[in-house]
Amino acid sequence: MLAAKTSDFTPAQRAHTRRVLLLLLAYAVILPPLVWVRAHRQVSDLVALLMAIAASLPVLGMFASWGRYLSDERDEYHQALTLKRIAIATNATMGAAVVWGFLQAFGVMPLIEAYWIPTIWVVIQGTFGIIELFARRGREG
Amino acid sequence: MENRLRVLRAARSWSQQDLAERIEVSRQSVNAIETGKYDPSLPLAFRIAELFDMPIEEIFVSPSRRSSKAI
Repeated sequence: MLAAKTSDFTPAQRAHTRRVLLLLLAYAVILPPLVWVRAHRQVSDLVALLMAIAASLPVLGMFASWGRYLSDERDEYHQALTLKRIAIATNATMGAAVVWGFLQAFGVMPLIEAYWIPTIWVVIQGTFGIIELFARRGREG
Repeated sequence: MENRLRVLRAARSWSQQDLAERIEVSRQSVNAIETGKYDPSLPLAFRIAELFDMPIEEIFVSPSRRSSKAI
């Protein structure tokens, strides 16, 4: 049976949420020691490279999880909603990145780290997801 | 897209969850289809039609036919 009896979430959504929570936990465990080492120790280029990759892996895992979710989701309505959210978040983030890039090039805004781009994408996507959930609950009473 | 899903479901005394389980989608999907917020794919529309043993066009109102009637 594809539909859950009482939950607002499909099995694929629950699996995706579990994966993302585990990856966030891994990120929270991995990042602080890497930041500390970077701030307090001299490391070789190779170690710096490995540290950067280690910090990126949980975030890359989250993006992979979205892909897996879209593949696993058997409920076409939820799949369509997620694709719409991804399109909105991608357009908004890319737009913001382009505008910020030119503002930075013309000396109006300071340089920001590139990892803020996916962070903004995740925040926009998540925000729309929460808005959708409350809007749906409001419609359904 | 307008449809008669709510009426057909009510005639059988099914809840949205009952219908969702029969056509293997979430209850939210049924709600979105009934309220016209989501148009089902052709395979899902066929599943719904087969469940009610009716042609698709007796459940879903063709938007073009509806607008031509309005003219």
